[in-house]
Amino acid sequence: MHQYEERLLGFLAKKGAATLDEITDATELGRDTILWAAESLQKAGAIDVKRAGIVDVKASQEGERYMEEFPEESLVRKLATRKERVGDVSDHIALGWAKKNGWITIDSGGILGLTKEGGKAASGSFDYPARKVLISLTTTEPGRRQDLINKNKDVVAALVKRGLIEVKERNEIRSLSITKKGADMLAKAPKEQGIGLLAKDLIKSGEWSKLGFRPYDVSAPSDTVYPSRMHPVREFINVMRRKWLEMGFIEVEGPIIETAFWNFDALFSPQDHPTRDMQDTFFLSNPDKLTIEDITALHKVKEMHLTGWKETWNEELARSAILRTHTTSVSARQMRKLAKAMQQNYPIRMFSIGSVFRNENLDYKHLAELRQYDGIIVGNDLTLANLIYVLKTFYSKLGIDDVKVRPSYFPFVEPGLEFYYFDKEHNDSIELCGGGVIREEITKALGLSRTVLAWGGGVDRLMLNQKIFGVESLPTLFKNDVSWLRSRGNLKV
Amino acid sequence: MAVVAFDLKDVTKIGLSKENLLKALPEMGVEVEEVTAQELKINVTPNRPDLLDFVGLKRAIENFGGISKPKDSFYKIDGKAALTINVKNEVKKARPYIAGMVVKNVNLSGNMLKYLINFTEKFADTYGRKRKKLAIGIHNLNAIEGDLVYTAVKEGEIVPLNSQKSTSFSKIMKAHDKGVTYQDTVPNYGSGSVLYPCLSDSKKVIALIPITNCDQTKVISLTKNLFVDITGTSLVAVKSAAALIACSFLYAGADVYPVTVSKPGEKFETPALGYKEMKVSMRKAERTLGVETGRHNVISFANKMGYTAAKYGDSVLFYIPPYRVDIFNDQDIIEDIAIAYGYDKIMPLAISGIVSGLENSDVEYENKIARLMVGLGYTEAINSMLTSEKVNFDNLLHKYTNDDHVSIADSKTSMISMLRTSLLPGLLQNLGISGMATMPQRLFEIGRCFSLKGDTPKEDKRASFVSVHAKANFAEAKSAVSAMLSSMGMEYTISQHKDPSFIEGRCAKAVSKGKEVCVFGEIHPNVLKNFGIEEPVVAAEMIVKEEVQY
Repeated sequence: MHQYEERLLGFLAKKGAATLDEITDATELGRDTILWAAESLQKAGAIDVKRAGIVDVKASQEGERYMEEFPEESLVRKLATRKERVGDVSDHIALGWAKKNGWITIDSGGILGLTKEGGKAASGSFDYPARKVLISLTTTEPGRRQDLINKNKDVVAALVKRGLIEVKERNEIRSLSITKKGADMLAKAPKEQGIGLLAKDLIKSGEWSKLGFRPYDVSAPSDTVYPSRMHPVREFINVMRRKWLEMGFIEVEGPIIETAFWNFDALFSPQDHPTRDMQDTFFLSNPDKLTIEDITALHKVKEMHLTGWKETWNEELARSAILRTHTTSVSARQMRKLAKAMQQNYPIRMFSIGSVFRNENLDYKHLAELRQYDGIIVGNDLTLANLIYVLKTFYSKLGIDDVKVRPSYFPFVEPGLEFYYFDKEHNDSIELCGGGVIREEITKALGLSRTVLAWGGGVDRLMLNQKIFGVESLPTLFKNDVSWLRSRGNLKV
Repeated sequence: MAVVAFDLKDVTKIGLSKENLLKALPEMGVEVEEVTAQELKINVTPNRPDLLDFVGLKRAIENFGGISKPKDSFYKIDGKAALTINVKNEVKKARPYIAGMVVKNVNLSGNMLKYLINFTEKFADTYGRKRKKLAIGIHNLNAIEGDLVYTAVKEGEIVPLNSQKSTSFSKIMKAHDKGVTYQDTVPNYGSGSVLYPCLSDSKKVIALIPITNCDQTKVISLTKNLFVDITGTSLVAVKSAAALIACSFLYAGADVYPVTVSKPGEKFETPALGYKEMKVSMRKAERTLGVETGRHNVISFANKMGYTAAKYGDSVLFYIPPYRVDIFNDQDIIEDIAIAYGYDKIMPLAISGIVSGLENSDVEYENKIARLMVGLGYTEAINSMLTSEKVNFDNLLHKYTNDDHVSIADSKTSMISMLRTSLLPGLLQNLGISGMATMPQRLFEIGRCFSLKGDTPKEDKRASFVSVHAKANFAEAKSAVSAMLSSMGMEYTISQHKDPSFIEGRCAKAVSKGKEVCVFGEIHPNVLKNFGIEEPVVAAEMIVKEEVQY
């Protein structure tokens, strides 16, 4: 008999029967160890094991919210009071479910209407099965859950699919008790021979040499432990940082809260450009305006807009406080810093990696916060061929060798380019970064009499690449589910 | 970016095989969005609105593929003005600029009418900023009676496109789908001083601008003669658009005639088709691209990109056709030279000189803290800096005012309304969804937090950790905090602290050099409940760097 089995049996002999928790507390054996010992003792007929089916149900935060009202319910309730066009409904999930439930109709003009069922659903007394099951599943006592699930299979499946609840079934050991055979086995077990736990005094006295050691069963289980680790995105950012550093780049940072000036105007983005809409950019309400301290740059940039776009230019708009939409704002600030610095050893290479923000509807595909890397090389006689060299080198250091380059457009570069690779698995070309030679208007306005090569690309998106990490979706990366963080795969770069 | 779709059979008729076409488009800077058996969808960048039009795309493919060469001074308008637009003073406050043209012998059979309409819509949507800055109207010239008047009125009537009934402007704005969609293009809409820009002939209103044309002047695929109006709030945009559209009709083989625009005290003809001349230094081109293009080649490159060109000393003179609205200066032409040369043919070239990189000390400090936390058995989480008052304050039982945190104006979701002031809410949310994972669970995060000092936003770097399990207690937090602060080289004292997120009497702060650098303790059960956590949690938040300056 293995010592763990013997210890477990010994404890049960004293107590008769015990639960797992009682055993862990008293024997100081790990849970996995007890389960292993119990299984082998049960096979030998030494103990009886009582089991019970347990279903764990946990509502997600969204699920918690939905207990009040499902979005499709609020949609039909809204439709009962006023007309809406299908294009005006931003909540596509609500729309989808309302349609699926047969609650709404859409006429040829795109106007939404309620069906008879929909009318019922909109009434205050309606008890939506999805909500009913969601609430009862999470509140009922664990033993009765299985019954409930069996009765509402489809509804539960839909709730799980919508990410509102998580259901885990387990067959849990309730209690263990010793049999007569077990008691016999314990009595007949040969007395322990040799040292079990090696102790300090045994080492000191040298007595171990007389007693000898009892051999262990090396195939017996040990408890699972999880290494604590950094987040995969930090790990990857550190890999990228190392690559840029190896290539002679200086690392810089910049503010998250920016003026529209450094994020847009200084980069020649016209003031009426669609990306400057509330639709795409996060504007702040407090503070709504910031000061632009660099008056010279302010005037020069204004002049650039007036002569370039031949439209009016509004300083108030430039002072708008926003969350930066790209890390190119950091590059813009650095260009200005270099222009003001006295002597520099050109060419100078700089990079930054950080969060950027887009006003998005959050769903399984979209995040409002993303990370980007941005870089500039400032010097004399720098060429597009140099830029292509630098970026190809960088991507090949990341293990992406088959990168291609094609022309593209960004208001702040000319010529502009885009790096991409062809994803054979999805038959799609994936953009890696955009870049080019910073427009002369911009370098001039920022007081820099040199050529600037610049680029910027998404960090998170690279985590989808199989050669780098291969996460299935970006939201998974930032959910920080402890089980996922513990069991996630390793970076491949 | 705007996506436009064309029938594949129309595009492959241009002269390149499907295979060559799909290779050429990205080389030209046109992204292929999707190709199906019937359709080609392309993504047109905002600098090249001419490619939104089938004729413009055809021209670009023909030039690039060597099927046809651009001709000198091809785009010009002869002939007398065919029509007059009398512009009234009222439009000054509403939508001041208008240009027009008459087009005869146009061929709109097959898909051409559909393409033309798609083009005007996409063009007005992108270049025209959702019709606000610019919009285009296309009419059957033969249904226009007499000269035109462009004015702005408080109310009027029109028979909108595809309708038989004369409807008031105000009703169209409320009930017509285009009226509803483009309400914000009408100045002072919804107030007493609303002004509707409109275009009329001697008998009727032919357009409520930029909402709808009238049904009487509707264009069908058999229509041969057109009147085109371009209106907007930017003179430059209206002029450029008129030129671009005229070029398109001319290239398609139609005849374009000018229209007189008569304003009080001013009279001119539109469209004006002038070629810009631009001298491009070959030395500069080669120095920008890092390739030797050769002067002779540059002329054929110019032709490939739709320009005619001539040698001029050490430079080449480019004649820019009027449809190119994106050429500011020689840099833009140098890009076209690069496109004609082929981006994929540019040989990568190393930058000479040995340099050494330099990591940012703040970022490295973050990494040092991360390594310490991992050493203490904590796993890192990364949460978003965007949050809501509910999660950031209410869930932690913290009171707040509107002036102590950075608020976001118009978020698309209620989950985002501010920038986080602390890392703890995010970490507690993470524990809330991780209940089923084996205990203990220990997480940390390092990141930026934000606050307001008067009108000035402050960015701090902070580090936080949380630990949840049945036996989590104050001493565990204190041990970890002490290990962290000592490893960070800080001298500190720990004293009793009060914070509503923590259990009273089980919360402490660490003070170093007179500054509070850390708050830690056992999280209050009401906070745990708010985050759906069922076991005790201890937590700490440390200041890594205060008021980061960039």
